[in-house]
Amino acid sequence: MKKFRIDFFKVLKIVIILIALCSVLIPFFYLFLNSIKLERDFRTIPPKLIPTEITTEYYQNAFSRGSKISNYLLNSIIVTFAVVFISVFIGALAAYSFSHLRRAFRIFSFAVFGILLVRFYPKVVMVVPYFILMRNFKLLDTLFAIIIAHVSIGIPFVVWLMLGFYDDIPKELEESGMIDGCGPWMRFIRIVFPVSLPGIATAAIMTAILSWNEFLIASSVVSVSAKTLPILISGYISDKGINWGPMSAVSTVIILPMFVFALFTQKYLVRGLTFGAVKG
Amino acid sequence: MVIKKKLLEKKVLLLFLLPAILIILIAQAYPLLYSLSMSFRHWTLAESLVPQEFVGFQNYIKAFKDPIFVNAFKISMLFCIAATTFEILFGFILAYFTVGETFFLRLSRTILILPMVIAPVANGTIWRMMLNSQSGLINQLIGYLGIQGPNWLGIPNLALVSVIIIDIWQWTPFAVVVFLAGLSMIPDELYDAARVDGAGRMKILRYIIIPYIFPVAFIVLLFRLVDTLLVIDAIYTTTFGGPGFSTNVITLFIYWQALRYFNISYASAASWLLSICTLAIAFSIMRWQNRVKKRLWGI
Repeated sequence: MKKFRIDFFKVLKIVIILIALCSVLIPFFYLFLNSIKLERDFRTIPPKLIPTEITTEYYQNAFSRGSKISNYLLNSIIVTFAVVFISVFIGALAAYSFSHLRRAFRIFSFAVFGILLVRFYPKVVMVVPYFILMRNFKLLDTLFAIIIAHVSIGIPFVVWLMLGFYDDIPKELEESGMIDGCGPWMRFIRIVFPVSLPGIATAAIMTAILSWNEFLIASSVVSVSAKTLPILISGYISDKGINWGPMSAVSTVIILPMFVFALFTQKYLVRGLTFGAVKG
Repeated sequence: MVIKKKLLEKKVLLLFLLPAILIILIAQAYPLLYSLSMSFRHWTLAESLVPQEFVGFQNYIKAFKDPIFVNAFKISMLFCIAATTFEILFGFILAYFTVGETFFLRLSRTILILPMVIAPVANGTIWRMMLNSQSGLINQLIGYLGIQGPNWLGIPNLALVSVIIIDIWQWTPFAVVVFLAGLSMIPDELYDAARVDGAGRMKILRYIIIPYIFPVAFIVLLFRLVDTLLVIDAIYTTTFGGPGFSTNVITLFIYWQALRYFNISYASAASWLLSICTLAIAFSIMRWQNRVKKRLWGI
């Protein structure tokens, strides 16, 4: 008889999961529908939920050659790639160094701690001084200004993440390199870096998300030509239905790469997010 | 010979640190210290292009007397506590229910992560559309019930509730992911032992899962308390602090002072007050976590 009893717990579980899934997915579907909806569908009262006719004009406008939006998209891509490569490499190198040096000298533990503080103060603090600094370097409205800022935020994260990996690398592994006469640089490139590739992947994904999505600092040092996608989106602010189509299309474009990341690199992503939780 | 080689190695290792330290000094430490020194001076770009005289703590005193600042501080605190509370609550519930290795559960976990990887700016635009009073999806759905939906982002108290909901929507996944990691750390033997002793679901939850997960909750608490105090993008793109000052959180207050009114020194003082606040929260939570860990896990 037990078979036919409705398991209350299971029902509750499925209901709660379904509610959560709907509340996550519906806003995304809504955004996507709006990005392929004709303008007249926005104007009816109440507006049509499902497009009467599918249009790709907003995407075509965004991707057409020479359009401003495609320039901004390119900017975003360049910035993200540059930030990922620079901060992961420099950060991993620094983490490797810290991992060795802090065993020998206590002062380096404080240095690590100092770098980690970057995570805990408002970035709005640095907006004005950073603007002045970039003005003095004559880097305003260039991608360099954005890249340097993002790298400086990315490095602490990479150091934090990679320290955990390098502290766990067995001594014997490096000692074998030492016997072969490898200096620290060769040991890092040939032995340590390849061994820590899963960590590197995690660090790369996290810095890519950070840089691709960052808005505040980028918007403060950029005025015309070096805009990235988040800055473009914030420019669509207007309550009129008119702008919804293009705004939705650009938002979809900015969301999509991160979706792909989340779906295909979930293991690394989750590791990056929970690093602090597991390590304490 | 060996000692000499070791010394050389240390020097090379120091060299490895150089690029990282240099970038942090230029792009983080310098702006930070610059703003600290500005916070003790008088400087409004409208009056002069260079910083003026030293004024001591006047900018800080001004902040405490400024009703708009005090109000922004209160709104930030409200936002921070409300959003964090619900994120931890929902995060734990969802993690508890989605733990497991069936296809459905794994798919659910993948989908549940999505909101947190998208740009907060994009999150803002999505919810501006969702919550639009005339043509937004939410009010359309409410309309089917025959009720006129409210102007979510246009009424002061509702606007604050709305931006809190938006934050919860985007960041509950963070709590889910961290709690899931915590749940996966509980050894299976503990569950088995509890079941042998005849403990039901509620007893396992009360006596195994919650004590075990408690220290992990501090991670969520730490990051969410700090990040909700520092929130700016999502509010910038939905209400821009309005209507009135109802969603004018402290970061937006600083943004206005620095980039609209060009009160550089005043904005610096306000942002240092906020930094002190977030650092104090971060430190106290880390200490609290250590104490709890000692008591519960014995380490």
